[in-house]
Amino acid sequence: MSGLLAFTRFEVGRLVRSWKFLVITIGFPVVFYMLFVGNHRPGKIVDGAVAWRSYLLVTMCSFGSLVAALSAGGARLSSERAAGWSRQLRVTPLPGWSYLVTKVVATMLVVLPELLLVEVVGVAFGGVHLSVADWFGLTALLWVAALPFAVLGIFIGWTVHAETAFPVVVGLMFVLGYFGGLFSPVESMPKALQVVAHLLPSFHGAALGISLLDGRGFGFSHWLVLGAYGIALSLVLLIRHRIEETRGIS
Amino acid sequence: MLAVSDRPGACDAARARFPDREPALRFEDVVHRYGSHLALDGLGLEVARGETLALLGPNGAGKSTTISLLLGLLRPSSGTVEVLGTTPRRAVAEGRVGAMLQTGAGSGLPPGVRVEAALRLVQRLYRRPAPFDLTVQRAGIGGLLSRPTHQLSGGQAQRVRFAVAIAGDPELVFLDEPTAAMDVEGKRVFWRMIRQFGEEGRTIVFATHHLQEADQFADRVAVINRGRVVADGPGATLKAAIAARRVRFVCDHADRRDFDSLQGVTDVEVHGTGVSMESLDADATVTDLVRRKIPFRDLEVVPAGMEEAFVALIAEDTPPRHAIGAP
Repeated sequence: MSGLLAFTRFEVGRLVRSWKFLVITIGFPVVFYMLFVGNHRPGKIVDGAVAWRSYLLVTMCSFGSLVAALSAGGARLSSERAAGWSRQLRVTPLPGWSYLVTKVVATMLVVLPELLLVEVVGVAFGGVHLSVADWFGLTALLWVAALPFAVLGIFIGWTVHAETAFPVVVGLMFVLGYFGGLFSPVESMPKALQVVAHLLPSFHGAALGISLLDGRGFGFSHWLVLGAYGIALSLVLLIRHRIEETRGIS
Repeated sequence: MLAVSDRPGACDAARARFPDREPALRFEDVVHRYGSHLALDGLGLEVARGETLALLGPNGAGKSTTISLLLGLLRPSSGTVEVLGTTPRRAVAEGRVGAMLQTGAGSGLPPGVRVEAALRLVQRLYRRPAPFDLTVQRAGIGGLLSRPTHQLSGGQAQRVRFAVAIAGDPELVFLDEPTAAMDVEGKRVFWRMIRQFGEEGRTIVFATHHLQEADQFADRVAVINRGRVVADGPGATLKAAIAARRVRFVCDHADRRDFDSLQGVTDVEVHGTGVSMESLDADATVTDLVRRKIPFRDLEVVPAGMEEAFVALIAEDTPPRHAIGAP
């Protein structure tokens, strides 16, 4: 048990000490919030019932968690596999399942401060006003919604070659961000793109937060899609991991 | 299988030192298949506690599979693999085994951290690790602790990986080609460290494809080829076996007694006019043959009793001593 704790602490420590990781995860959502908030009048009601400044707060939180989750796995994990470190860990007392689980946990632990950071930016630069309950609820929802992305990032790192993992991750960030409606309201997109948005987990993650703010309620369909993505990605990751485990050292 | 395996080896010596303990490592009739490819074909091997064993073999001989099995990374298709009296997985999970694996171009260490952080993590994964400073001293990496892992030279990374392998104070240490990226001086220092570690009663198994290294640093050498142990014994015995040659010729009046006393000869077979002798020193045998004026023709000197691949493997390390067919 103390081994697992040590490993988790080690993983989180590595993430927050990596300037590359920090620049990307802090830079993108913060800069984007400041850039995009002026695209509409901040108080303009979009997507039915939410002010643009709050809508963008939710979508940039989603984008931030997407960026943090994908980069926590992604190229970092890929290069660590290439270095032979993950295999070295397999010949320590660390249980086999704990490697991936710890990666997911460490990713989720850096997503949380990322959400808080974007919220602070939203308050400071967008003048967002929410009740305490809404702040808590929003943070919790968006945090849980980041889980499929954490798994996706680790899957990429576990599957894609070290040199291609970084472009793949950056590409996915912008595809999921743009087509998931995180940069501009989905209702302002062309009809065909709206259909695409509804297929992406990034859309449904942000939609959970927006449902909370506009009082539309629980968002059952969003949970369903996110859950399906989470389960499917986890299964694929586990299968990939099993194949790796049956290969021995060569 | 070479005859040397029947002779008392260091294994028996080590067993005599620790008579009532189970072997550190036991492979019994182990078969491993990857699909239709037979990687191990009835491999048998035993390593006593406190012994240092070298696994010698060419690429593709089954060394990697043997290593994967002994570390519990693979399960055998059939047969038994036992490590420290239990299953390999359990021995690894209990922190009783340490390993230094081959990493190709990689450092084998986590990128983006200092050596100390990586080593401290590994230490914390074990229940009864060696004191940190002792591990650092054993591996001679005191000067590297504050270095980022990606700024180590190949030889330095290997020393840090050795520290990683011994951080848990394991009873059995496995080293896969541990000195691959080192210069001569680096190798010398490194083997001294490994040796010291082994002298504390630990079992060390290392894989190599240099007979020199195997002979110099192991109590015993097991040669693996085509998924089997083809020779197993102390390095000196193996070297003598390598020198062994079969001397064949035709002698019209063959008298067995003439041949038995020839220098270096260990075995003689006579079939009609055909004579076939096994010799530990073919040069001396042929010289003696000439000196005694024994008439012979169609002389042939060939390697005796060993599988070709083994001979080829060894030949890389040992310069050839005999010209085939010279009278």
